[in-house]
Amino acid sequence: MRKPDITPRRSFLAENPSVMWFLGLLGLFTLGVTVLAEGFGMALLSTSMVKILGMTLCLCLIAVAMDVVWGYCGILSLGHFAFFGLGGYAIGMWLMYARTEGIVVDSLANAPIPPTQEEINDAIATQIFGVVGSNELPLSWAFADSLFIQLLLVVLVPGLLALVFGWLAFRSRVTGVYLSILTQAMTLALSLYLFQNDTGLRGNNGLSGLQNIPGLLHLPQSTIALWFFWASAAALGLGYLFFAWLISGKFGSVIRGIRDNENRVRFLGYHVESYKLVIFTLTAIVSGLAGALYYPQAGIINPAEIAPIASIYLAVWVAIGGRGRLYGAVIGAAVVSLASSWFTGGGAPDIDLGFYTINWTDWWLVLLGLGFVAVTLFFPRGIGGLFDMLVRKS
Amino acid sequence: MKTKTLMASLATTTALFTAPALAQDCPVKVGVLHSLSGTMAISETTLKDTVLMLVEQQNAKGGLLGCEIEAVVVDPASDWPLFAEKARELLTVSEVDVIFGSWTSVSRKSALPVLEELNGLMFYPVQYEGEESSKNVFYTGAAPNQQAIPAVDYFLEELGVESFALLGTDYVYPRTTNNILDAYLKSKGIADEDIFVNYTPFGHSDWATIVSDVVALGASGKQVGVISTINGDANVGFYKELAAQGVDAADIPVVAFSVGEEELSGLDTAPLVGHLAAWNYFQSADTEINAEFVEAWKAYAGDERVTNDPMEAHYIGFNMWVNAVTEAGTTDVDAVREAMWGQEYPNLTGGTAVMNANHHLSKPVLIGEIRDDGQFDIISQTAEVPGDAWTDHLPESAPLKSDWKELGCGMYNTETGTCVQMTSNY
Amino acid sequence: MRFTALLARAVALLIIVACALVLRPDEARAQATLQPLLQEHQADLAKPSRQTIGPVIADLLASDHSGMADFLRKWEAREVYLRPEDGLFFYAEEAGGSLRLIDIDSGAAVAEVGSRDVDQIRPNAGVRRELAAALVPYELNAPDPARRAEALEAITRSADASQIAPLAGSIESETDPTLKTRKERLLTLLVAQFGATKSERLDAIAGLGGDTSIEARSVLNQLTATRDGVAETLPDDINLARVLEVGTDLTEAEAHDRLVAADLAPPRQTATDLRDVLAQHIVDGSVGGVPLHQLDTTAARARAYEALEQAGTVPPRAAPDEVAQAVAAHAFYAEYLQPDPQITQAAEDALAATSRTLGLYQTADLVLDGLSLASIFFLAAIGLAITFGVMGVINMAHGEFIMMGAYTGYVVQLFIPDYTVSLLIALPLAFAVTFGAGVAMERLVIRHLYTRPLETLLATFGISIALQQLAKNIFGTQARPLTAPDWLGGAITLNDIVSISTIRVAIFVLALIFLALLLYILKRTRLGLEVRAVTQNPGMAASMGINPDRINMLTFGLGSGIAGIAGVAIGLYAQVTSEMGANYIVQSFMTVVVGGVGNVWGTLAGASLIGFLQKGIEWFNPSNTLAAQTYMVLFVILFIQFRPKGIVALKGRAAGD
Repeated sequence: MRKPDITPRRSFLAENPSVMWFLGLLGLFTLGVTVLAEGFGMALLSTSMVKILGMTLCLCLIAVAMDVVWGYCGILSLGHFAFFGLGGYAIGMWLMYARTEGIVVDSLANAPIPPTQEEINDAIATQIFGVVGSNELPLSWAFADSLFIQLLLVVLVPGLLALVFGWLAFRSRVTGVYLSILTQAMTLALSLYLFQNDTGLRGNNGLSGLQNIPGLLHLPQSTIALWFFWASAAALGLGYLFFAWLISGKFGSVIRGIRDNENRVRFLGYHVESYKLVIFTLTAIVSGLAGALYYPQAGIINPAEIAPIASIYLAVWVAIGGRGRLYGAVIGAAVVSLASSWFTGGGAPDIDLGFYTINWTDWWLVLLGLGFVAVTLFFPRGIGGLFDMLVRKS
Repeated sequence: MKTKTLMASLATTTALFTAPALAQDCPVKVGVLHSLSGTMAISETTLKDTVLMLVEQQNAKGGLLGCEIEAVVVDPASDWPLFAEKARELLTVSEVDVIFGSWTSVSRKSALPVLEELNGLMFYPVQYEGEESSKNVFYTGAAPNQQAIPAVDYFLEELGVESFALLGTDYVYPRTTNNILDAYLKSKGIADEDIFVNYTPFGHSDWATIVSDVVALGASGKQVGVISTINGDANVGFYKELAAQGVDAADIPVVAFSVGEEELSGLDTAPLVGHLAAWNYFQSADTEINAEFVEAWKAYAGDERVTNDPMEAHYIGFNMWVNAVTEAGTTDVDAVREAMWGQEYPNLTGGTAVMNANHHLSKPVLIGEIRDDGQFDIISQTAEVPGDAWTDHLPESAPLKSDWKELGCGMYNTETGTCVQMTSNY
Repeated sequence: MRFTALLARAVALLIIVACALVLRPDEARAQATLQPLLQEHQADLAKPSRQTIGPVIADLLASDHSGMADFLRKWEAREVYLRPEDGLFFYAEEAGGSLRLIDIDSGAAVAEVGSRDVDQIRPNAGVRRELAAALVPYELNAPDPARRAEALEAITRSADASQIAPLAGSIESETDPTLKTRKERLLTLLVAQFGATKSERLDAIAGLGGDTSIEARSVLNQLTATRDGVAETLPDDINLARVLEVGTDLTEAEAHDRLVAADLAPPRQTATDLRDVLAQHIVDGSVGGVPLHQLDTTAARARAYEALEQAGTVPPRAAPDEVAQAVAAHAFYAEYLQPDPQITQAAEDALAATSRTLGLYQTADLVLDGLSLASIFFLAAIGLAITFGVMGVINMAHGEFIMMGAYTGYVVQLFIPDYTVSLLIALPLAFAVTFGAGVAMERLVIRHLYTRPLETLLATFGISIALQQLAKNIFGTQARPLTAPDWLGGAITLNDIVSISTIRVAIFVLALIFLALLLYILKRTRLGLEVRAVTQNPGMAASMGINPDRINMLTFGLGSGIAGIAGVAIGLYAQVTSEMGANYIVQSFMTVVVGGVGNVWGTLAGASLIGFLQKGIEWFNPSNTLAAQTYMVLFVILFIQFRPKGIVALKGRAAGD
């Protein structure tokens, strides 16, 4: 693989004013939420709202990754939510293990004879896996006691899976809709695998209570929510910056070329498969990181999160936001997921038609589905495209 | 820009919600945390309606503590993380005094940390796998010893079953229940090779091979019985296949723990007559108060609607809560919890339900045979059985005990005499 | 004279005795009514349990009351009621919302009461089985053949030795030939189990050799049932089935557990036991001289125990080699419950004779199940294959067309109660509805996106979620009944092992019909020619005067229409819900991709491969269907890596790249 041209950083930002704008707005937004949040001062934003906003930022980050792989490289992956989930599982294992260890050690502290390490391990295993009828810690939990290794796994597991899967698929020149279906099959296989109760990740129950961070149990959730919000904002900012930089140089030109005509790029002497593989793996890693930040805020991760439909929704967000522009992905993810919770949360007023009352809890998905068709048909550039038009006009 | 304004508008709406709630105690607020959309909506919408009906009835009787009761309904949309989010919203934004909610175990476990963190109070109305007792939850559904174990006893003693097929959907309730049953059956002298276990995914439809496997068990010369923890829609295909292969209830009886009046309404029950279900309530229970309840329900929700076991659980739970609040004179969670212990209320099927100090109910266990009209013939009704939070049939759980009143602990190890944990480990 | 007088007297006496014997039941009827007899067993009759009912039934039958059999029959049919205030039993019949009580003895109506004033007595299935068995002698010669057949069923459900005589006695007079064969067969089964002499049992057992039916194997398996035993030396007074080798048949730990259970060895000390013992001997913050805080390793605990052992405060514990010694010193075996070795040998031989045919039949059954699953996948996927192949369009809403078809079937059944007629109407109607929906979708959406296949995928996904939610809003989330007519209800049974439900056969036939129909349309009609032309090169086809728009529209309609029919078929054997389409969509995609795009034969190959593969994996691991599905998907992923164009690869430019 060729190294992309590294242009000096100042000129990169100067050349891309949208990145500056985005980072500036994100900073302002973070500041605003912090000032308004319950955990900091004005208490105008409830903790659950802060959590929702923090989670939305994580979704924006994976949407940016999706935009890079689809909007810039032309690979419609229906599997990026699987990487997101894997990141969540990797960090969730540590959270669960460490919290349970605390409980177990406390409860055994009063025992007449101090517990052996094996007894502690057994008790932890029983506590964690009792719900799925097991009392042994599976091999995959071997490093669950080490935050460092699990953090490493947040990067390694999605990265390796993407690397192997991508290598196999790109090597066989699986492209277009075939690749989409193949990634969907991968997601399905993973979620079916995780759904099984004997695969060591607690089956349908998944990992829960993740919002209680071991070692920080004395802190109120309002504070922790804010910390995670900051972390998510920082991750989104860095991720955005990284991808904006990646696609602005020559590397970006090559992958855009691959999107527009793979064969021509190949004939120009580029090793198309390597480029695709790099993009696929990098975005998978960023997705995993986004998941690792998301699930401690959500509190629970289970296989339903990874189901193929989640990845399709991800594509929907990016398409609605506008492909091929990173801020489009952010707008799409934020608008659709927040609108979703507004409509289904009973926030939207019912519409009384006289003979029938439209209750948005029931009709939101119909609206979303049809709206999505409309966007695809009439605004292929999405909301971001409208935005571009406005900017250009002014 | 658009995102910003939307977020801002969301922020202001939440802010509006937060401010006035602190001002006074009236009205008393009851949160309803049942999915109104998604896969679980099928079961949970009914429960939401039940709570709304009970609230309406109580308001007609003059409310509670001189206040009107107001129901706050949210929709966690069968999305498990949303249960935690919505529970937090109910407790902190709407500031409800009690929550009635959840169906699946995973949704309960998702809401649990929030309930314990904010010291909320939730009534959970569905039969579940046990192995839990939270300070902040009252379990009005059946624990395994109030449904699964009596049903197996019925199989062993009344039907003389010697070879068991445990069929279930692959999730926690069937897994844990089958584990408990496996240990229990072995303690009753059933050999390992006479227990056939199978797990299928949610919504499974290809039952031909599994039903043939069960029929083939008959070749051992032992009476075969099926214990089904198959959940939801998948039952339709399962029972259709049973009917197609002509599995007669007299030859291979099937007892189901998740099939009630509601689920049977999606089926032609004529070929299923005689198969069984175990619950704490059947609509066909022939008592005065049940007739009233069914009538009130049909008047409220529609003539074609049926009642079922989790509805009775909410009926008992809601009324107990109302009485406990009246006794305590406040909706304060700690006071209400203390008033809940020992609270009694008549069952719809006769007898009296009692709330025990382990937060589980004492209820009678009923076994019913499916009739061709989609209802059940009650053929066995026990005296009230106290719900057991920690099963006696698994070695790790046998020494555990829950007693919030005396021991103040939901997971107390009687061997070491220590409280294993105060808050649940989800 | 004296002699004749004596004879006459004797004859007279005999006649009197005979008369008395003959008349006795009449006298009994005259003396005793049924009610008092029932009252003796009131508690057991009112709350019948299988465990206590046996003696009660025997007692009741021993009374020889002529109304008894009738009472038992009514009791079984739940027509007997108990009036709590006086504890009397009555028969009852519905009388306009209330119950009319009928006296058991006189048959006269006594009173009309509400349903809550009396208790209906509901014997459970176990009690009913006992009852049916008790009634066997009465029913075997009943005039109604259905009742005789039921009596035979009762024998199969609870066979015992006492049934041999009445069954043998009833064969002679049996008029119905099917029932007669059935009776003879049952007699063989009964004699094999309970025959009076060894030789007749051996004959009967030999007659069961090679019989693969479940009831025959069930009898043989009962005869060869074993129990495990353990002793210091192998006892010679038992009917030994086999000797169990430690290490191969059972592990050392299992063997030791059996010894412990038989009180032949002391239990092993677990880590928990050790800890508990140590905890009992804490003296001044240490155990056996080892300070408490050091006891957090296994080694330290062992040291502490040894110290206690030497001090004599605790008994010595079993070391691992002692376990091995104890196990080695005993014989482990399995013995037959049936004491007679000749009979068990005969039964084993008879069973061995079945094992081979059994395997053959089991394979055949598995193949049938695989075929059935393949045909379901084929039906679900073929519509998709057509649209995908011809137009290169991924239709994510295909599953929702399946769902629309199923709901069409449900709605038709609401209006037409006759299941056969409604099915005949539902099939074409479902085709019409989904054909219309497909054409509408093609005209309104897909037509505008031909140059952007990935976006078709997303647009159709939008339609899919909208349709799914619409179905939820209209029909609710509850599964809806779609019932097959009776002639599709049962199963086609070759024997007890090989059988397949009729509905699945019907689906298979339907799949064959569509296969033939599609082949015909594609290969033999003008439309087919044009479709193939558009598939191979749309531009060239258009320049030859074919209107690709029209072809696309028709193909899309056809594909969707077939999905609708598949929906009716799937709904008949499984559940109709708004999410049923989503359950099939990914599988359908995989079928199409594995098979090879744009080819009917390819789809057939793909469906067969996936169907058989899934059944095969399930067979290896019958306890976890979910795992089978997981491995199947993994296989598909790998398969596509090696054959990206599927089993039957399309030539030309049609495949889309």
